[in-house]
Amino acid sequence: MEKTVVKIENLVKRYKELIALDHFNLEIKEGEIFGLLGPNGSGKTTTINCLLSLLSFDKGNIEVFGEKMTPSNYNVKKQIGVIMQNVAVFDELTVFENIDYFCGLYIKDKALKKKYVQEAIEFTGLEDFVKFRPKKLSGGLLRRLNIACGIAHKPKLIILDEPTVAVDPQSRNKILEGIAELNRQGATVIYTSHYMEEVEQLCTRIAIMDKGKNIAIGTKDELKKMIKNTETINIEILDLESQIREKIENLPHVYETKYENNKLTVFCGGGKHNLVRVLGVLSDNEVSFGRVYSELPTLNDVFLEITGKELRDKED
Amino acid sequence: MFWHNFKNDLKCCFREKSFLFWLILFPILLGTFFHLTMSDIYETDTIFETIPTAVVENKSNPAFKEIVNSVASEENALLSAEFTDEQSALQKLEDGDIEGIIYVDDKISLKVSPNGTSMKQTILKEFLDTYRINEAIIIDTMQNNPQNLETVITSLTTELDCNENIPLTDGNMDPYATFFYNLIAMVAFFGSVTGLHIAISNQANLSSIAARKCISPNNKFITILSNICASFVAQAVCVTISISFILFVLGEDLGDKTGMIYLSGITGSLTGVTFGFFIGSLGRLSEGVKNAIAMSVTMSCCFLSGLMMGDLKIIIENNLPWFNRINPAALISDMFYCLNVYNDYSLYAQKAITLLILSAIFITGGFLLTRRKKYASL
Repeated sequence: MEKTVVKIENLVKRYKELIALDHFNLEIKEGEIFGLLGPNGSGKTTTINCLLSLLSFDKGNIEVFGEKMTPSNYNVKKQIGVIMQNVAVFDELTVFENIDYFCGLYIKDKALKKKYVQEAIEFTGLEDFVKFRPKKLSGGLLRRLNIACGIAHKPKLIILDEPTVAVDPQSRNKILEGIAELNRQGATVIYTSHYMEEVEQLCTRIAIMDKGKNIAIGTKDELKKMIKNTETINIEILDLESQIREKIENLPHVYETKYENNKLTVFCGGGKHNLVRVLGVLSDNEVSFGRVYSELPTLNDVFLEITGKELRDKED
Repeated sequence: MFWHNFKNDLKCCFREKSFLFWLILFPILLGTFFHLTMSDIYETDTIFETIPTAVVENKSNPAFKEIVNSVASEENALLSAEFTDEQSALQKLEDGDIEGIIYVDDKISLKVSPNGTSMKQTILKEFLDTYRINEAIIIDTMQNNPQNLETVITSLTTELDCNENIPLTDGNMDPYATFFYNLIAMVAFFGSVTGLHIAISNQANLSSIAARKCISPNNKFITILSNICASFVAQAVCVTISISFILFVLGEDLGDKTGMIYLSGITGSLTGVTFGFFIGSLGRLSEGVKNAIAMSVTMSCCFLSGLMMGDLKIIIENNLPWFNRINPAALISDMFYCLNVYNDYSLYAQKAITLLILSAIFITGGFLLTRRKKYASL
C-alpha cells in the first residue's frame, strides 16, 4: 500500500473576513506528482504555506510523513524542499555560493554537501554560470537557480509553488522535464500552478481549487469524465440557417450549439464520430464551410463547468 | 550551523554595495572633508605663527638688537627678525615674505604692508610700543633715580604670570577633534543598516529568503544570533578602518589612547547593529520604510550629538540632559571625551556600560519581536 506523504484535514484559514481555506482536505501519496490547480487567489499558496508551518491556521490538521507538522519538527523539515513563487536567493552570492548555502542548511557533512551542490548545478544546467551573481542571470536561469537551491539537499518531498511564472518556453520545458526527473528519482512532488497545460502535462493527480475549497480531485482523465462535454467542434460558416442548426442540435450526443461571428460551435457529450455526423448534415444541406477543428475538453472546461468561470485570468 | 550562517552573512555584508558605501566610503569622504575644511580653519584662527620681520638699522641700537634677538630665539618665537638694508626689506615686504619693517633710527618705527595680516601687524605694533615704554622708564630711572635702576630692570624683565597653566589632560584639546569623535560615533551607529537587514532576512512575512530559512530544519534563535555576530564583526571592521583612516591617513590627533579609541568604536558598533535589528523587528513595515526609519533615527542621533553642529550637544545637555544619556551617538562620542579631555576612566566605563545595556535592550526586544515561528499572513 502506498504511503501517505501529506495529509491535510479540514484546514481553515481566515484573513480577517476573507476565508482563504474553507475546510480543505487533501491526501498525497508517495511518488505522486500532485497538481494544485486553481485561479489566482484560490488558496494554493496559502495551502503550501500552512503545510510548511509558515502560516498559522484557524482549524484543521496537517501531517507530513505521518508526523504532525510544526515549525520545530526538524525531522520532517529536513525531508522537504521548497521552490518558492518568488525567487529567494542572495544577490551578493554567486550561483555556486547560493546553492552551497541553502544546501548547507540541511546537509552538515562537507563532502556530501559538495557532491549534492555539484549534482544540483548539473541537474539545473547551471554549469556555465556558477560564478555569476543572480542579477547577471536571465529570468529563466534565475528560476533554475531558485530550483537548485530548493532541491540540492535531495528532499523526499518537493513543493513547487508556481515555479514557471514569467519564464520563457525553453526554460519552462527544462524546468518541467527536471521536475519529472526528480519524481523518477523517487521524490514526491506537489506542484501548484494556474497554467493548466503544465499541470496536465506533468501531474499524475490533480486537485482543482476555488475559493479555498477543493472542488475536484483525480487524474486528468477522471476529472474530464466529471463533465458533460467530451468534444467541442468548431466550424467556420459564412451563413447558417436556423433550421440547419436545429438539425445539428438534434444529432445524438450533441447537447448545445452556438453560432457567433460566423463560427458554429457544437458541444458533444460522449459518443464517437460526432464530427463526421455534423459535417454530414452540412453537406446534405449544401452549406459551404471553411476551417473545421475539434477540441477535446481541457481542465479549463472542467473548471468552467464546475464553477461557471474561466480557470485562467484573461491577461494570463 | 552557526558558522555556516556566520560565514555566509559576513560574505554578504562585504559584498553589499550600500553597506560598503555607508560604512566605509562615506565616513572616509566625510572625514577627508572635515580634515580639509576644519584643519584649515583651526590653523588660520587658532594656531599662532611666528611673525616674519625685517629690521633696518640706520643707527646702532645694541639694546634693541639684543631684545629682538632674544625674542626671536625663544621657542614659539613672537617674531623672526632679519637684519638687512632698506631696499631688500622693502622688496620682501612687497613680496609678502615679511609682515613689517622695523626702522631703528633716533626713534624706532614700524612700516607694514597694506596686504598683510592685521592681527600680526597689531602684534608687531604692540611689541614696539611695549619696547618704547620700557625704554622710556629705564632712561627716566637712569636720569632721576639711578639707585633704583637694577630693581626697575629686574621688574621689567620678569614675566608677570597671573594665571598658571595647568593641563587637565594629556589628550587632545583641539575643539575640531570633536567632529572626528562624532564621525566615528556615526560610523559605529550606522551598524543599524546591517542590523536591520538581519531582522528582515529572518522574518518569513518580510522576505522570501527568510521564508526559505524558516522552512529549513534550523533553530531560528541560533540563525539570528549568528547573523548578529557576523554583522557585528563586519561593523567592527568598518569602524576600525574608519578610525585607522582618521589616525594614519588624515593624521588627526585623537589622543594617545589608541587602543581605547578602537574599543570605544567597536562597543558603539554593537549598539548600532542591535539597534538596527530592533527597528527591523518592529511590525510589518516594508524593508524600505524600516530602512528609512533606521537611517533617520541614526542621522538624527548623530546630528543631536553634534556631528554637524558642535554646540548642539551642549544645547541638548542644557535642555534635555536625559537624551544625551541615552543617545547612542552622544554616548560613543562622550567615550572619546572621557579618554581625551576628561581623562576619566570611571566616566568612560559608565558610558560604555550604558551602551551595553542599550544593546542588551535592543537585542532582547528584537528577539521577542522575531521569535514567532508562524505568521498570520505572508
